[in-house]
Amino acid sequence: MPAAMQVLAIVVLAPLVQGAMKRLRARLQEKPGPPILQPYRDLAKLWTKEAVLPEGVSIIALCAPGVSLGVALTFAAALPFVDRSAGSIVDIVALAFLLGLGRFVLALAALDMRSAFTGMAASREMTFASLVEPALLIALLGGAALGRGTSFASLHGVPFGLAGALAFGAFFLLLLAETARVPIDNQETHYELTMIHEGLLLEYAGWQLAMLQAAAYVRQLCFLLLAAILLPGGFNPWAAVVWIVVLAGSISVVETAFAKLRLFEIPQLLVTALLLAVTSIGLRLLGVPV
Amino acid sequence: MTLRLIGVCATWAVALCAAVLAVPAGLHHAPVSFVTLAAPAPALRIALGLTPLAAPFLVLLALLAIPVGAWSLRRGRPIDAVLIAGFTLTMLLVLIARSVVAFFFAWEAMSLISAFLVAAHHERRNVRRATFVYLIVAQTGAACVLVALVLLAAWAGDPSFGAIAGAAATLPPGLRTAVFLFALLGFGSKAGLLPLHFWLPRAHPVAPANASALLSGVMLKIALYGLLLVTFELAAPGPALWGLVLIVIGTISAVGGVLYAVVDHDLKRLLAYHSVENVGIIVIAIGVALLAQSHGSSALAALALTAALFHTINHGLFKGLLFLGAGTVADTEGTVDLECLGGLWGHLVWTAPLFLIGCAAITGLPPFNGFVSEWMTFQSLIGALAPDGDVMAKLVLLGSIAGLALTGGLAAACFVKVFGVVFLGRSRRSRATPQREKFDAPAFALAWLASLCTLFGFVPLLVVGPLSRIVAGAVGGAPMPLPSLPVLPAALVLLPLAGAAYAVVLAAQRGVRKAPAWTCGSPVTAAAQYTATAFSKPLRTVFAFVLLPERQRVVDAGASSWFPKKIRYRTESRYLIDEAARRFAAAMLRLTRRARALQSGSLRIYLAYAVAAVVLVVVVAR
Repeated sequence: MPAAMQVLAIVVLAPLVQGAMKRLRARLQEKPGPPILQPYRDLAKLWTKEAVLPEGVSIIALCAPGVSLGVALTFAAALPFVDRSAGSIVDIVALAFLLGLGRFVLALAALDMRSAFTGMAASREMTFASLVEPALLIALLGGAALGRGTSFASLHGVPFGLAGALAFGAFFLLLLAETARVPIDNQETHYELTMIHEGLLLEYAGWQLAMLQAAAYVRQLCFLLLAAILLPGGFNPWAAVVWIVVLAGSISVVETAFAKLRLFEIPQLLVTALLLAVTSIGLRLLGVPV
Repeated sequence: MTLRLIGVCATWAVALCAAVLAVPAGLHHAPVSFVTLAAPAPALRIALGLTPLAAPFLVLLALLAIPVGAWSLRRGRPIDAVLIAGFTLTMLLVLIARSVVAFFFAWEAMSLISAFLVAAHHERRNVRRATFVYLIVAQTGAACVLVALVLLAAWAGDPSFGAIAGAAATLPPGLRTAVFLFALLGFGSKAGLLPLHFWLPRAHPVAPANASALLSGVMLKIALYGLLLVTFELAAPGPALWGLVLIVIGTISAVGGVLYAVVDHDLKRLLAYHSVENVGIIVIAIGVALLAQSHGSSALAALALTAALFHTINHGLFKGLLFLGAGTVADTEGTVDLECLGGLWGHLVWTAPLFLIGCAAITGLPPFNGFVSEWMTFQSLIGALAPDGDVMAKLVLLGSIAGLALTGGLAAACFVKVFGVVFLGRSRRSRATPQREKFDAPAFALAWLASLCTLFGFVPLLVVGPLSRIVAGAVGGAPMPLPSLPVLPAALVLLPLAGAAYAVVLAAQRGVRKAPAWTCGSPVTAAAQYTATAFSKPLRTVFAFVLLPERQRVVDAGASSWFPKKIRYRTESRYLIDEAARRFAAAMLRLTRRARALQSGSLRIYLAYAVAAVVLVVVVAR
């Protein structure tokens, strides 16, 4: 039951985080921005609208929104806030595979749509995901205590230090990629050729789009929580809330201060993340006292 | 029809034998020998027997020979069915050979009969070429295997594997290293490890699909069995360095194989490259097992070896499924070129969903079998990364973890491309409305393999349990416990499956309006869909330093350069490793051309050579 409460809390708060970040970003850019509660209204409105899909799509396109939401909810249930013991089933490695499942189904659905734009988005998403995956795994291992297994509990009680800071730095870059933020992607774009994550959802509408958007919000909050765990004291839910406010603020600043990277400069950013993560583990392996 | 039936029945009989032999092989804790044939010289004795290490391979042979037989009932040439029966029989013989001569004869028979299968369509030039390359690699490899085995037998003074294993502990380090190197060359080239993989993407695609399924699914694994036999029985225990070498080669093969696959657009060749990748993953796990064993942590070694054997079985199952599925596609569509296919989901109503299960399994998506064995491989790699110990080894392990994760991501990209382009979307050719597929013997073969992939994914203990018992005998300790293993696959997919079901039910209830896809207002055509070349374009660019892509663009501008009449676009990858091999071959050719100066053709010069050689021998031997 506590795990269900955790999932419920994350699901309820996820649109709020999205709304707050959007508002903050708009204010930083001296625009009024939408109300903080707008994502809730958007979801409610979309939920009542009918779904529209291209002719002749397969059942995969129908399943994809549900799979995406299910993956996000499993992610939310796997986070170690309520159940901090090692008994938690989903570990760091399994999480990488779980996210891979959601991405695989969504990319297949995009290719099923018969549109050049969705195919392009699927191609880009899978390309960058293949670079994100190793960095993500190693960054999380860099934050963990080596030799204590791969459960999320192994992230607990590890002294922060330089190795921890590098692991967090790597994870922050990946966080930007995984939550479709500038400088890697842009959630606000209306220009199909620059879309990555939005492009995957291009053909969805109505309640199906609502499911996909909700999944994206939940996944975003889960990634923020995971980043908070890598920071000092992040295992405490209240400290995590403070860290999320700080992280959401810094992401909005990054989104304002930087322009979107050219598509083929993104790999360099992701490889930087990988190198930071590898350095972090290297420091722990060498036992550098920092 | 009778020829076909005889072949299929014989294949099934071999499968039955393999299944029956697997049970005692797995239950015994030590190797047993049951037949020894007398021979004119003791060195030529032929012994057959069972070793626990062979049991997983026997099971794989049995599980894959059944659907391959079923597939051959309806598709492929009748003569291939007979050849396949012989092929399965020789593979069975390799697995039960317990002396040097028996092993070598079975090994050579396996190579030769598979060469006949590769040469099935010998009227085509590229097929003859592929067979030639395959035979050369197979014979060179076999020579290396023979040298390794003879070195071992000479040290033990007895050609039976039991005696060799008994003498293994006293092997001098130099001889042990020589044996390992020859075994690695011989078995590694047969298994398709980089950089000796080049025969594989040539030979596997030109063979008939049922033969490719066995070549990729079982024969490569027999080579890995040989490697395991040498490293864990005949020349055991190996030093830590063997483990590191295998981890490095395995990682390079995994990443290299998948990179080749992701830019390839011939469905069967692409699958062959994925065999290189998966053999790499298995070899990584074998390397971790050797490394952990030499450090004395038998629990970790056992876990790694269990992961290796489980992935061996799993890869056989899903690769068999994918190759047979590709065979069905080739039969019904007449091509396996990704650029010409599309929209098969509509009429291949059995093959398409079953092929999807194969794609998900090979990508390592939960809840299928590939996920479990890859997850276990990661667990063993990360387990070996404990903070104490040799730093060099840890860095290798770290690189391997990153490489394996990259492999997973690239494999996902590749199979999204394969399934999305071939089965989803619209057909890329104008053609008559195709017939809806019926549930026939080939579909049964695919269904059999897909159910096994799903079953071994949801209930991993079904395989992991017996494997841990077998492995415990080989490394002397039970595997590290993984408490979450039994429930993990189900826990990961519970909510996604529920979500999928809910979304489908909701779509049925509320209805989904159909409208053309958004193409900025231009008419929606099949040509607007993303193609395989386009899909892999970003990866070609990102990994250009390995793939060395070249492109040709020919534009027929017509009246206006803004609206060209025709654009031809061709792209080809040269690959770093192939380029290096080509340079090496060219250098060798130059060298031999220089050496030709020695061959003057004059008899007197040759006699002088002979005299010089005799003098040299006398001087050296004195």
